[in-house]
Amino acid sequence: MLRIKNLKCYYGRIMAVKGVSLSVKKGRIVTLIGANGSGKSTILEAICGLLPQWEGEITYEDISLKGFDPPAIVKQGISLVPEGRLVFPPLSVLDNLKLGAYTMYRKRKHAAVKQELENVMSLFPILHKRAKQAAGTLSGGEQQMLAIGRALMSNPRLLLLDEPSMGLAPLIVEKIFQILETLKNKGITILLVEQNAQAALQIADHGYVFETGTVVLQGPASDLLEDQGVKRAYLGKDYGEFYDDK
Amino acid sequence: MMTNDEFLTMHEDEKTQLQLERLQSTLNRAYRNVPFHKKRFKELGIDLSEIESLTDLARLPFMDRQDISENYPYNLFAVPLRDIVRIHTSPGTTQNPTVSGYTPQDLSSWQTILARALKISGITPHDILQITLNPGLANWGRDYKYGAEALGASVIPNTPLSLEKKLMVLRDYKTSALISTPASALQLATHIPKKPITTSAFDLKTIILVGESIDKTERKAMEDALNVKIWCHYGLSEVPGPAIAFECEVHEGLHMNEDYFLPEIVDPASGKALPDNQYGELVLTTLATRAFPLIRFRTGDRAKMIKQTCSCGRGLRRIEWRGERTDDLINIDGVKIHKKQIQRSIQAALEFPPEFPPEFPIDTAKFHVKHRDEKKYLEVWIPVNEHIFSDEIKGLEALIQIAENNLYKNIGIPVSIRLKEQRTF
Repeated sequence: MLRIKNLKCYYGRIMAVKGVSLSVKKGRIVTLIGANGSGKSTILEAICGLLPQWEGEITYEDISLKGFDPPAIVKQGISLVPEGRLVFPPLSVLDNLKLGAYTMYRKRKHAAVKQELENVMSLFPILHKRAKQAAGTLSGGEQQMLAIGRALMSNPRLLLLDEPSMGLAPLIVEKIFQILETLKNKGITILLVEQNAQAALQIADHGYVFETGTVVLQGPASDLLEDQGVKRAYLGKDYGEFYDDK
Repeated sequence: MMTNDEFLTMHEDEKTQLQLERLQSTLNRAYRNVPFHKKRFKELGIDLSEIESLTDLARLPFMDRQDISENYPYNLFAVPLRDIVRIHTSPGTTQNPTVSGYTPQDLSSWQTILARALKISGITPHDILQITLNPGLANWGRDYKYGAEALGASVIPNTPLSLEKKLMVLRDYKTSALISTPASALQLATHIPKKPITTSAFDLKTIILVGESIDKTERKAMEDALNVKIWCHYGLSEVPGPAIAFECEVHEGLHMNEDYFLPEIVDPASGKALPDNQYGELVLTTLATRAFPLIRFRTGDRAKMIKQTCSCGRGLRRIEWRGERTDDLINIDGVKIHKKQIQRSIQAALEFPPEFPPEFPIDTAKFHVKHRDEKKYLEVWIPVNEHIFSDEIKGLEALIQIAENNLYKNIGIPVSIRLKEQRTF
């Protein structure tokens, strides 16, 4: 569904992503794990058209995304849940959700928007309860649900999530990840960037391990969960440094 | 059991993408964790972000058995020792044995590789599979055992047995599939009719030949004599292991496990890539190995890539391999030996100095692969001149006996050393 080949991303002269290739198959959850600054989020920005400078190939359903701006990419069926949620605090939950359907409003698909709202509300009953409440007054977990709900409003086939567990309590994280599994079962393909490798690998089908802008390991998520190097570096197991006793 | 069948029918683009992803992560891992690779890439000014296609692999340096020997025992491992759960050692073909390590994921990969090859060779849970390999291929015996068990077959693991015992097990235990080298299988084929039992008393249906190739005539003769179907597998006895390539039901060439190994065929002299259908040296790069990645490893095996796709429909490319070498290694019953190994062993047993004495020029020894009771052995002829034919010859013969025993212990292949007058050479 999504194929990235030799992607190189730059911030000025600095190459943040150094020739990465990865692929996301339809109906799967693929996760990118790795430390801060390893280039994971930069890849999501490149896919969404938020990064002005990149080289390589990004193809989505056999269409090259080169030169597409963010609205054009949303129209292709790709939606991003950004890091830190980035909901609009003064706006109500309902208005935040409606903003996610911006491209549909422009096409005057009001009925479709209504349908999407119903879908999102049924997926997140708490948002229905807080529909008129200002988004800024929601808890962190609720805001994350709102951010996911807003992304779903454009009816994406590929959902990109950047650190959805950030700053959330473990129980809430569990809930959010259960929702991601539900979305997968509904046929939505997911590319998930996470530092919470344990949670991400548990729901993912496939994973890529990033280090300083490169992929150093890739494979079925179940394999990565068992990899000693991954356990040491990302799963919070107290084994010391990554490759320390050679 | 997973045999990763998905890869066998993958669209070409998708297959190439997967291989590229695996190649890039293998190279990045090797660069970060193996000083040998890091140093060489740096020296050659290779920027791994510029390896953008499978053909870019040709820009990387080769590695060979000497590199493995020089990094003995663990310096080519890409993970710390505590992540290694199995260590295999094989005699190797240089001064040091070859040591390879495996993480749990590596073992799982090998199980998949073996299970796939065996499944395609027709092995099912209904089979009783007997493994009879010589001690030099003991590691392969273990790999085949795990692969066959993963398929649910009943396995009779590799154990050194006399010919009589092998035949007894074959008959009484109702072995339906046998894994053997061609030489051992020929030995069985020769003996079965001589025994009071006949082939009809056997349940044997499948023989999987490993270690060496077999020519078509011998193969047909064996199939007819034993009323079996033969399948050939290709592997390397030191690293990385067996069934790197395997025959399918069409029996025209060997399919490479391309999700685990990236094959190249190069000109042995220039190292340049050769086109399909042209014979050259097979070079392998591992794509999923965690512990012991090989990058452009020169196998020394002569092979060619078959251009045409196989009528079986599987997307794995095929090689044709006839057992020929591009170097000085001698392949006996699947075990590869370097002539220098033999020379060094004789030299050590005879307590000779590093420089060969003129009356005993081991460096000009000749090597002959021979058969005794249909079993292969290596005969080494060492030229001696008239100065050696004195009383000391008896002492030398005793030492030679020690050298023969040492060689058998070290490489698992019988070696017979004969002193020959120089004029008979």
